[in-house]
Parts: sequence; C-alpha cells; structure tokens
Amino acid sequence: MEYASTSATDWSQIWIITGVGYTVVFLALLLLMFVFKKMPQILNLGIGKKIKEVREKSRSKENGNAEEERYLSGEISAAIATALHLYFKEQHDEESGVITIKRVARTYSPWSSKIYGVNNNPR
Amino acid sequence: MKKLLTVIVVLGILYLIPTLLGGELMAQDLVPNIPKEGGDLTEGLLHFWEYTGFANATFGNFIMIAVGLFFIFLAIRFHYEPLLLIPIGTGILLGNIPFPAGAGVGIYESGSVLNYLYFGVTQGIYPPLIFLGIGAMTDFSSLISNPRLMLLGAAAQIGVFGTFIGAIALGFEVHEAGAISIIGGADGPTAIFASAKLAPQLIGSIAIAAYSYMALVPVIQPPIMKLLITKKERLIRMKPPRAVSKTEKILFPIIGMLLTTFISPSAIPLLGMLFFGNLLKESGVTDRLADTARTKMIDIVTILLGVTVGASTQASVFLTGSSIKIFALGAVSFIIATAGGLLFAKIMNLFLSEKNKINPLIGAAGVSAVPDSARVVQQEGIKSDPSNHLLMHAMAPNVSGVIGSAVAAGIMISFLM
Repeated sequence: MEYASTSATDWSQIWIITGVGYTVVFLALLLLMFVFKKMPQILNLGIGKKIKEVREKSRSKENGNAEEERYLSGEISAAIATALHLYFKEQHDEESGVITIKRVARTYSPWSSKIYGVNNNPR
Repeated sequence: MKKLLTVIVVLGILYLIPTLLGGELMAQDLVPNIPKEGGDLTEGLLHFWEYTGFANATFGNFIMIAVGLFFIFLAIRFHYEPLLLIPIGTGILLGNIPFPAGAGVGIYESGSVLNYLYFGVTQGIYPPLIFLGIGAMTDFSSLISNPRLMLLGAAAQIGVFGTFIGAIALGFEVHEAGAISIIGGADGPTAIFASAKLAPQLIGSIAIAAYSYMALVPVIQPPIMKLLITKKERLIRMKPPRAVSKTEKILFPIIGMLLTTFISPSAIPLLGMLFFGNLLKESGVTDRLADTARTKMIDIVTILLGVTVGASTQASVFLTGSSIKIFALGAVSFIIATAGGLLFAKIMNLFLSEKNKINPLIGAAGVSAVPDSARVVQQEGIKSDPSNHLLMHAMAPNVSGVIGSAVAAGIMISFLM
C-alpha cells in the first residue's frame, strides 16, 4: 500500500495505518509466541516417537535374539570368547626389549663429601 | 616541539617575505593556494583568520558544542550509555567546528571524509550491522522459556504508533511522521534505518533524540512505574524460567526470521541480521564469526555510527523548530511506550492464574532499549523486595521489544514508501 503524500492530512488514512500497523506487530509476535509455546510439545512429540521406536526395536531385537540364540553354536561362542581373550591379553605397552644399565655422568659435587664434614677434627 | 617551532619559523618567513622584499615577491608565490590580493602581513593574517573556526562561528555552533560536551559529561559522570554518548558527543563537537563553505570537510559536503562515512547512515548500512552484533550477543532463552512475555514487547510498540499520530498532529509530513514515530521503539539503529528510508533530512534529529532518551531510560521510566504499579503488584514473584534445550535455541532464530520477515519484508535487513547473528551464536559451530560480530564488528560500526550521527547535527541543519518538536515527541513516545507495556502486563494478570501471574514492572522492559530498561526493572523490583530478581524475566519483553520495533519500522516503511 503506497501512501500518497497530500498537503491536507487524511486522518482516516492515518488511523488506518496506526490500527493496522499495531495489529500486525501484535500478530507477528502472537504468532511467534504460539509457535514457541507449542515448541516443547512438538519437540517432545518427536522425542516420544523416537523413544517408542527404540522400545519397539529393542523388543523386536529381544525376540529376534532369542530366536538367533537357538542357532548360536558353542563353537562360535568359543571362537568369539577366544578372540576377545587374546585381544585383551595383548593390551600391553610396547617395549624395546633391550635391557641395559645406563651410566649417568654427573659433575662432581662435594655437598655430601665426608672430608668437609663438621665431625672432621683437624688434629 | 622542534617540529612545531620549525613550522612557526617557516610560516613566519613566508609571511615576512613580502615585507622584507617590499612587496615584489609574495608568500602566495611560494604557496600557490593563497589568493593574490593583500600583499602585506596583515592581509595574510586576515586571510588566515577568515579560514579559522572563530571567524565562521555562529551562536548555534556554540550551543551544539555545549550539547556535545553535555553528552560526554553524561557518559563519563553518570555512565549513561557511554558507548554511544561518547562517540555521538565527540561527533557533535566535530560537526560543529565552523569552517568556510566549500572547504570540503563538512559532513554534508560531497567528497569529504565524513561524508563518505555518513554514507553508511544515509543508506541504512550501519543499523543492520549493529543488529547482527546484537543478535550474536543476545540470549533469547528467557523469551523461549516464557513466550507469552513477547506480547509485552508488542504492547510497548504503542509508543511508535502514538508518536505517529502525535507527529501528524504537530504538522509533520506523513513520511517524516513515520520516521519520527520509530523513536517510540526506543531502538537507535531501527530509528536511523527508518528515517534513512522515510525522511533522510531528519536523521540527525531523530537519532539524537532516540539515543538521548535511551540513555535517559533510568531517569524516565521509574516515575511512570511508581505511578502505574501498586506496591502489592511490585511484590509479585514470578516462576523461575524453565531450562531451554539447544534445539529450541537453534530453532528460534530460524523460525523467528522466517515468520517476522514474511509478515514485514521491509524489515529484512534488520530482522534478518538480528536472527542471523543469533544463529551464529546458537549454532555452536560458528563461534569465531559470532565472536567477531558481537565484539570487534559491532564496536567498529558503533564508533562510525556514533561519530557520523553526532557530526550530522550541524547547527545550521539541527537547530530548527522541527528538532525541538522531535525532542518533545521523543519524550512523549518513551512515556507512552513504557505506560503501554506496564498497563498491558496488568491486563494480562487479569487472565492469569495466581501462580502464573507476572510482575507488571517487567512490562516497562518492552520498550526495547536493551538492556537498560531490563536493568531499570531489576532495580525497581529490588527496591520493593530485595530478594525478588526480575532481570531474567525482564529480558524477555526487552528482546521481544527489539523484534517488535523492527517489525513496526518495517510496517511503517511498507505503508509509506
């Protein structure tokens, strides 16, 4: 809507601008308010659905596992257990395997030398 | 000091040349831009005098310089919006140093440095950039946790539309009235943006009025609060806001941007940047961008905006009857907006259950002016009950006021352009 500028003030148009403008501001924020009032419910709805899906899946898995367990032979279980055992047993720091005594060179320090002890009698 | 002495000595020699040589060789022959008439020292000095600010000063310049100094005083002494009032005050001083016309230094002279910087104001470039920074520093959690408080931000926009009618009644042309009305939104960048579109000739007056009253929010609002809100109402304790999930925080700027700009497309530069800045903050993956927007960038733009808006208040342009009317309307608009927010909060309470009642003081924060009006609400709340902290609750209408005033500005622009 384009307002035609006229020398004489058209008060009816001024009131329309004021009324419509204020209403639109209210509507914009009202709309935003409703959306965010419903937002937690919408998000929870999504979460609820997910929870349901997860529960259903876990139920079906439980059923499926029960069926599968019938067909899980002892050899397979033993193979898995051995593999796991070996794997965890190998969890160890890698070392070079070279064992030596490292000589440490230190500069001479007489801090504990007995020749400078207080018990030394000059006599 | 040595340099200064050298300059003085060189200038002295230049001006003494004609006297010493009996007028045969003049200083103008050595310095080409000095006009030829007047061959002696007195003529040269007189010419120099004509170029100084003292010779070109008008009474209006001194009034405006006093205003600029007052702004700086308010900022330093009382800490009233110092980040705005110091640049604006300094800008007023710069803009009112008198100079001869055509010197190419004034803000309204094309090609001058200040004119180039002022381009960002006249073309509405700075306000959206400020909004980007505001978005990147604003936490909308309080608003998301209690969305009904958005209505307080909408209610306070009565200041905008009340001022529109007032401006028309005072004889302003309809586009000018539309620009002036946004002062009621108590939002400087929005007011500048709207006046750049609707009435560029009034930008200086409107910006100064808007920022002055925003700085004076701690002075203007408390008496209205005391007048309209009873002691019992001030003691109302509100429920603490619920925790807001990260998803909600991310969705808010996206949904907010889409909804508000679809309703008011003229406000795309403002609202788009506001929500974009908030998305940078809340997305959690663009911390660097958000950090730049809310610190360095907003600081740079604030400096440029403040100085140029201040400099645009040249006495010859600013000291007019219109400016005085705009200042009067600005004061009234702030009062109307504050009262609108407070009264709407009281009305809302009529429909709310006892445990969900809101403290009507927070209605005053609906007038944008982030975060000063929320701070005023907190201070007034504490005066009645030292353990009743309203700041978090007041931030909700405060930020919704920013959105509301931008929507209102967009509506005004789309109606009147």
